Amino acid sequence: MNKKKQKRLFLVLTVLVVGGALLSLVFSSFTGSLVYFYTPTEIVAKGDTINGKKVRIGGMVQEGTLVREAGTLKIRFMVTDGDNLFPVRYDGMLPDLFREGQGVIVEGVWYRGKDFIASSILAKHSEDYMPIEMSQEGIAKAKESILKTMQ
Amino acid sequence: MDKGEIVWIEIAHFAALLAITLTVVQIAAPLYGVKSGNLAWIRVGRHAAIVVAVLLTISTVGLINSFLNHDFSVLYVAKHASLDLPIFYLGTAMWGGHEGSLLLWAWLLSVYIAVAAWRHWQTHSTSMPYVLAILGALLMGFLLLVLFLSTPFERLIPPPFDGKDLNPLLQDPGMVFHPPFLYMGYVGFAIPYAFAMAALITGQANEEWLLATRRWTLFSWSMLTTGIVFGAYWAYYELGWGGYWAWDPVENASFMPWLTSTAFLHSVMVQERRKMFKTWNVFLIITTFALAILGTFLVRSGVLSSVHAFASDPGRGVYILVFMMVLLFFSFGVLTMKSDQLETNISLDNPLSKEAAFLFNNLFLLVATLTVLLGTLYPLAVETWTDSKVSVGAPYYNTVFIPIMLGIIFMMGIGPVVAWRKASIAHLKRDLLLPAVLAAIAGVGAGVLGLANFYGICSVVVIVFVLATHILDTMRRVRARMAKNGSSSALVVLLQLLGRNKRRYGGFVVHFGILVMAAGFIGSGLFQDEKNLFMSPSDKIQVGDWNLTLKSVGTASRHNWKAVEAVVQADHKSGFTVELRPQKRVYNETSQPTTEAAIHTTWFEDIYVVLGDEVKDNVYSIRVYRNPLVVWVWAGAGVMAFGVAIALMQGRIRKRESLVG
Repeated sequence: MNKKKQKRLFLVLTVLVVGGALLSLVFSSFTGSLVYFYTPTEIVAKGDTINGKKVRIGGMVQEGTLVREAGTLKIRFMVTDGDNLFPVRYDGMLPDLFREGQGVIVEGVWYRGKDFIASSILAKHSEDYMPIEMSQEGIAKAKESILKTMQ
Repeated sequence: MDKGEIVWIEIAHFAALLAITLTVVQIAAPLYGVKSGNLAWIRVGRHAAIVVAVLLTISTVGLINSFLNHDFSVLYVAKHASLDLPIFYLGTAMWGGHEGSLLLWAWLLSVYIAVAAWRHWQTHSTSMPYVLAILGALLMGFLLLVLFLSTPFERLIPPPFDGKDLNPLLQDPGMVFHPPFLYMGYVGFAIPYAFAMAALITGQANEEWLLATRRWTLFSWSMLTTGIVFGAYWAYYELGWGGYWAWDPVENASFMPWLTSTAFLHSVMVQERRKMFKTWNVFLIITTFALAILGTFLVRSGVLSSVHAFASDPGRGVYILVFMMVLLFFSFGVLTMKSDQLETNISLDNPLSKEAAFLFNNLFLLVATLTVLLGTLYPLAVETWTDSKVSVGAPYYNTVFIPIMLGIIFMMGIGPVVAWRKASIAHLKRDLLLPAVLAAIAGVGAGVLGLANFYGICSVVVIVFVLATHILDTMRRVRARMAKNGSSSALVVLLQLLGRNKRRYGGFVVHFGILVMAAGFIGSGLFQDEKNLFMSPSDKIQVGDWNLTLKSVGTASRHNWKAVEAVVQADHKSGFTVELRPQKRVYNETSQPTTEAAIHTTWFEDIYVVLGDEVKDNVYSIRVYRNPLVVWVWAGAGVMAFGVAIALMQGRIRKRESLVG
């Protein structure tokens, strides 16, 4: 093998090694940082398969379920998708959009049989960016079921 | 509305309809001109392009005027403005929603087309018919969307008494400037893209299209950069979570074309100088432009909020998909059919050469693009094809991006000084040994001084390394010139050097801006302090070198909002005192409260105070961030803009000279 070819081989190998290393970094951190999104109903259905995993749960904050612990930022509330209620605890500053009757996404690790402690409550730039579960369709559905329970 | 009053929106609508009709002429006439050999038809195409730009200008002005006149009989105005809205935001609310911002996009494109048709008419007569036709088709595609699927011209009769108001979050200078700059960047890539396609079609795919569009590319790149930074600045000041970049899909959408266009800016130099990377450069400009379109659509179609919401308006969704498909098939189709023109027998075979340095620059930037693309589109794919919904967290991007950023910055130290073809070891030693030593010393020094973070130390090392290579190289050239010419002072020679090769030294200034920005990223990203606590008036808290005292909580108001306002006194240990007033605002037209963080900025750090709820009588939740070096991010962007301005001043005449070195 002449010198030119050797150098070329070296270059190609370096590109492959560096590129390969970067890509493996990309894919290995990618699979580890996926967070699945569920509705309260799906959480009931999924059960054990997601025990101990980080999840996002979305729905509407059920009217009348928000309880604040005086003097702290601790709150409890129920997230509903119209069919099931899902209890959530949270300790921290709330996003501007957070209110009873409004859509919400809570993120945290879910353990079967334990209270869900949210590590964060998400508020996006505006109403425009909300998932469908929290937007018109979801909220309409939830409102409907609330009306039903009141009758 | 009174009789006799000018109905601006109807003028706007009519002008846009005329414009779309004329785009047909802009496409057909030049192509017919080529086919028939009758140059007059090509000229007709150019006239059409200019008239289209005038018409769309009228259309845009018309829509802005409808806002200024509070014409709530226009649905779009009623949705995005109110009687209370201050005039500054009234004039810019035109791009506050999807429909208007698509019109802004189309208007900018039409103006760029007119300028390109005028500037390159004489110099690129062969390409011009195709450039006009391709750009005309793109514009028509956008106008179809603006006129028929997402129209800002729709009327609302009878008009409501008042509008729904502009989203309070958008009532901020950052958001006023963010979209136009971003779009000036996105749209600008259409010109080099069209020239590349035209060059392939006419069989003149040498370096001509690159040289013709060099300044277009550079200008667009700088607008895109500025636009992204405005967005980050807005997020930082307005959203109140203490940061400026969250790897949100909306942000990612603008970041991807930035990454590929940065790769393009570098790899074109290889083609200019060495006639290599020809296919690669066409690929990069197609990808950049396609990602710019994708960015616009991702943000402006509603697909990000939910694939299902997007699909619930099938007309727009299907149209956008078809548009993207046609664009990609056409572009890559032309590239494949004509790729034989791009063949080159020059091979890259020396790992110690500028070509190889650019190859690695491109490798890093492309992997970065792939990283963002994967994180942005994967959740959409999952939602489309399965019942699940998934999100990709910020940790993914941070894990991947810090090493990539360090790699790119490291290459930035090598690229500018290493020679073309084959670098001699002696020269590399001369240019890189001292910077490497300095970088090592800086790294050790930072460690000794208490910087206990691996990535923090790595950043110090690469930043010092790059800074040193740039400074040493410049100093060496100044000295060489002084030795040759004798008399003049170092500063004069430095300026002469800069004047002779604005492109190279403009590039150096941009690199310097990137270093400043990188320092800002590392400082604010790795060393942020956050404190959450409850405070009653007269309570104190210590954050870094600052002592914060909550003095009082009162109210504040403007004509279109009311707020709870805290007065926080911040005392620095040096004796400096400043008063901060964080607010929780409620705008009249919406009941949703918005957070107005109070920020005190110094060159070293920002103190960022957010007022939360009143948890008990007279007890407030307060969040305080100490963000080191944030202002370096904004300052770095300013330096970059300055560097680009220098590089843009270099005309085409000097191109041969500029390549030397």
